[in-house]
Amino acid sequence: MTTNTQNAAILEITDLSAEINGRAILKSLNLHVRAGEVHAIMGPNGAGKSTLSQVLAGRQSYAVTAGSVLFRGEDLLSLPPEERARRGLFLGFQYPVEIPGVNNVYLLKAALNAKRKQAGLPEVDAFEFLGLVREKMQLMQMDESFLSRGVNEGFSGGEKKRNEILQMAVLEPVLAILDETDSGLDIDALKVVANGVNSLRRHDRAILLVTHYQRLLDYITPDYVHVLMDGKILKSGTASLAHELEARGYDWVREEAAAK
Amino acid sequence: MNAELKSNQGLVPLAAVPLITCGAHSHDAWRASALSRLIALGLPTSRDDAWKYSSLNLVQRRDLTPCTDFSAPAQLLSSLPERQGATFVCLNGQLIAELSSGVLPAGVRYTPLNDLFDSPIGSMRARLRADDSAEQRLRLLNAVVCTAGVAFDVSAQQTPVEPVHLVHIATHHGHYPRTLVSLQAGSRLNLIEYYLSVDDSSSVSVPVTDVELAEGAELQHTTLGLAGMNSVVYADLNVHVGKNARYVHRSLELGGLATRLDLKVHLDASGAEAHLNGLLLADKTRQIDIRTQMDHHAPNTTSSQLYRGVANDRGRGSYEGKVVVHQGAAKSDSRQSSRNLLLGPKAEIDARPQLEINADDVKCSHGATTGSIDEEVLFYLLSRGIDHDTARALLIFAFTDDVIATLTDPALRREVEKRVLASLPTAALIRGFVQ
Repeated sequence: MTTNTQNAAILEITDLSAEINGRAILKSLNLHVRAGEVHAIMGPNGAGKSTLSQVLAGRQSYAVTAGSVLFRGEDLLSLPPEERARRGLFLGFQYPVEIPGVNNVYLLKAALNAKRKQAGLPEVDAFEFLGLVREKMQLMQMDESFLSRGVNEGFSGGEKKRNEILQMAVLEPVLAILDETDSGLDIDALKVVANGVNSLRRHDRAILLVTHYQRLLDYITPDYVHVLMDGKILKSGTASLAHELEARGYDWVREEAAAK
Repeated sequence: MNAELKSNQGLVPLAAVPLITCGAHSHDAWRASALSRLIALGLPTSRDDAWKYSSLNLVQRRDLTPCTDFSAPAQLLSSLPERQGATFVCLNGQLIAELSSGVLPAGVRYTPLNDLFDSPIGSMRARLRADDSAEQRLRLLNAVVCTAGVAFDVSAQQTPVEPVHLVHIATHHGHYPRTLVSLQAGSRLNLIEYYLSVDDSSSVSVPVTDVELAEGAELQHTTLGLAGMNSVVYADLNVHVGKNARYVHRSLELGGLATRLDLKVHLDASGAEAHLNGLLLADKTRQIDIRTQMDHHAPNTTSSQLYRGVANDRGRGSYEGKVVVHQGAAKSDSRQSSRNLLLGPKAEIDARPQLEINADDVKCSHGATTGSIDEEVLFYLLSRGIDHDTARALLIFAFTDDVIATLTDPALRREVEKRVLASLPTAALIRGFVQ
């Protein structure tokens, strides 16, 4: 394996353990993600998938008890959530929150400017920004009214998820973690979201798809599939593993791991 | 008469209030009757449950003598939002012609309070007269000492588009504005009231307002509390809503040292509706108390209440909302929502929705929450690279939006947004988000 940028390490999780309210959720989890790769993290409910997403994004209510996480070689865990975002980490929420009174587009602009400031770039030109947002909105099949509405205010489940991918498209993260982006979507919305994500696949970007079902993976083909159970990665494989899980469920993975 | 007042402990501050005779005999008789009732009841004390949250000693230490200085500081008006339509400016209930402007729209009539005693307009005279036996003691106090006031009535089927603005200015001592609004059948009015005071004023205002809406009438009623940091405003508002009539109230309590609003709404006939919305901004050492009572007297009546409170520093707020569904008021629909945000360890907000149902087949819901900023929502903003201070300021502002969004007048909305922003310590961070 060469060490050019195409294969640069984006995320290196080593022996990560985390708990909430004294309850251990992640138990010595290991995962390595390189630039250009799409990884799917699958697992049954309660396995720790959302905890992993939230810990990586810096949610304070989870306590990291052991292990390390490097993001492009830098210690991620010592950074507050806003610093992680500015360095190119993006979390697409499973349940995006509604914030009436805070304009959708202003939030997006502020988020982009925070990131540009970190990179030593000037604030984005208002006219150019609007052009950029319009272009990405078209990709996500969102109508003009999204420009004037509050953040996720009155959005349907599908609209909220599309808005998350819109944000991802504008912010152009180095690492996108999409937490159950497929949940609550009908097939048409799922296609729009998947199409959006696929268009954002790049040689210098990594994507972590956290999902319960294989359904999303029919539209976004991952390079690697990992099974997260009991707080750790129990099995890793290629896209075909997702189909096997769909057919056989999760229990055999645990049995197989126990037999090792 | 003053000797009698002194003998009553609760009326000590009133002892200083001279009774000015008005000349109109019926008015004087009414006032005398109100006074004897007030003496019998006494002024409220902190032992009264209804006054638990309002600081009475503030009032008791102040000079309640009705203000007789009618030289108005005109520059106060420049702080008001841009206005279309007629503006009436009152000092202590007295209309100040040189500060007032514009003409009333067709179908809207103005009558000075004194004339109302002798010329019946709808049932306004009867309402006014009945007040000498009121239960509410501040209403009685107002009746005893108010010497002027304004009455608006809108003729049947008249629906003027332009709003009517009523500005109450308090300078010093006591202010006792009295306002009556009567909408005849099928008419409509947009009334916007402003409560202002001069900067260093330690005034006490006791405004009393009566509203009556005949069949199919609609009043859009907005009150903006913008009094100075040392002013007290204890307001009493009584509303009667007739058949298929609609009352919409928005109170934006953004000023004053202590503010109290007693709001009683009577849904008197089938199809009557009332929607109350309020924003309490209790920063610094402000106290804001909202007390509502919604009476569903008739079937098929609808009410909603939406109150949002933000308390910071040593600010204190309270919302007590009572809904009474009376016997026979079947198919009443009532909703109540009070959400409150505490921003400091010494800030306080008490929310007490109450429900009393004496009829079958009704739909009532109420909810009250008091808490700090939602951690999940804060995290969402942080995860987008927004810094902590900005995110926090944004969420405080957004919290007030439920009520601000009910303001339909763009100039008024901008003014309220500006003032809410100005009350936030980190306003500069978030201006761009909310313009």
